[in-house]
Amino acid sequence: MRHIASQLAAHIDGRLAPALSQQAAEHLRTCERCQAEYGAVKQGMEWMDSLPLIEAPASLWTSIESGLPHHQATRRIPWAWLATAAAAMFAFAAYWLLAPAKVPTWEVARIEDSTQRTSRIAPGQWIETSARSRATIKVGAIGSLDLKPNTRLEVVATQPGEHRVALAHGEIHASISAPPRLFFVDTPSGTAIDLGCEYDLKAADDGSGLLQVSKGWVQFEWNGLESLVPAGASCQIRAHAGPGIPYFDDAPEGLRLALDQGALGAILASSRVRDTLSLWHLLSRVDVDARSRVFDRIVALTPLPGGVSREKVLKLDPATLKRWREDLAWIW
Amino acid sequence: MNDREVSREVIEACRAGDRDAFRALYEIHKDRVYSIAFYFFNGNSEIAADVTQQVFLKLMTSIGQFRGDADFSTWLYRMVVNTCVDSARKYKPASEGSLETLAAHDDHEGAYARTQAANSVRAALSTLPPKFRIAVLLRYFDDLSYEQMAEALHCSMGTVASRLSRGHKLLAERLKSMVEGKGRS
Repeated sequence: MRHIASQLAAHIDGRLAPALSQQAAEHLRTCERCQAEYGAVKQGMEWMDSLPLIEAPASLWTSIESGLPHHQATRRIPWAWLATAAAAMFAFAAYWLLAPAKVPTWEVARIEDSTQRTSRIAPGQWIETSARSRATIKVGAIGSLDLKPNTRLEVVATQPGEHRVALAHGEIHASISAPPRLFFVDTPSGTAIDLGCEYDLKAADDGSGLLQVSKGWVQFEWNGLESLVPAGASCQIRAHAGPGIPYFDDAPEGLRLALDQGALGAILASSRVRDTLSLWHLLSRVDVDARSRVFDRIVALTPLPGGVSREKVLKLDPATLKRWREDLAWIW
Repeated sequence: MNDREVSREVIEACRAGDRDAFRALYEIHKDRVYSIAFYFFNGNSEIAADVTQQVFLKLMTSIGQFRGDADFSTWLYRMVVNTCVDSARKYKPASEGSLETLAAHDDHEGAYARTQAANSVRAALSTLPPKFRIAVLLRYFDDLSYEQMAEALHCSMGTVASRLSRGHKLLAERLKSMVEGKGRS
């Protein structure tokens, strides 16, 4: 009997997928242990209802306002200053019209033999670390990028809406805290797209590599082929052929070996419930006969949610595959 | 027009550097952000104010990077989570908060009993491991989906569900033992 303690809050909140919710309700009817846990979780939620919302102190805004940059803090201009301000604005406008547009640069800290040097890097410039050096780039205001030894990387774009680098070879660790799809790493075999995350990315000279995600999600794309890699999972990057099938780092050795070899029978036989991550990705990368076997294996591991049919999955209907992935993500 | 719709309207103006729009955005979200920090740090109003200030300053300085098609609440609460976690490293373990702070916000009939209950919950909450505490607070103070909470907490939806289950269960157990302890004394 599989207990449902970890799903109880989602069940009470009505956030479980219909099929899982039904299973949870059925399990609760007969399992005394989970009934007791259910009571405790519900009681905890009721206790939380007794907490009032606390009003922020009125003086807080003044502190925040004083910490804002001046150009954001001086929208209202006293009339007496208008003439001076107009002249200054004219000069400022003339400068912006005549001067080349200013492109944001990023701060770089290079460390070699315990000596640190700080500089700035602009789009179009390269940075390279030796066997004895490493570097940290501050990616605008959204995060940082650590370059391990023997890494070569170009800064491609530093605009607020697009932060992009190109990793020629080496290894980086990215830590990004921003809305999804603002930070991109191009490699010879595809692009890593940040979906709010922390990850390591290795790229060899031949274009092969490895993506390992420690927080959040990363999407890796190459010529329309894409892999979605959650925290705790990795994905091999194949030389000039894009992302492989992602797998959890704790996946059985047999599964990882089978994925390397493309041995479908062994992949299916060695997959656990959580390995539906790999099986879901496999659906769109095999022919229809193999797809049917993959579908059957996923359904044997976890129930099919409402709105997902065998027929539509086998036809690779995008909306159906997305719906199924969102449901499966509960167990990834 | 609800808070979220207002947010969508003012965010664009904030990105353009409009100070009044930022004030409006602050007014919409300040109490929820402050309350999360307040309870995360066991009623310490000084740390709660510092965390709230840090969150809104970060928000204003980086709002240029925020794209309209992304989810603002997720972005905001990710900053709240990160700032609470960073501040927890900076400050000593949460001290006992002031009871007056809660009492001052509830002066209706039966206020005493409610204040006592809230203080007990706050004290029990402060004993939960931070990852459970912040998940429970996020669920309570805003109507975030599990997907939004997962993004704010840098984890999967399954992990959110698991932390909420364990967090609420632990809270109930701690409160039960507090009540039993009082009964014996």
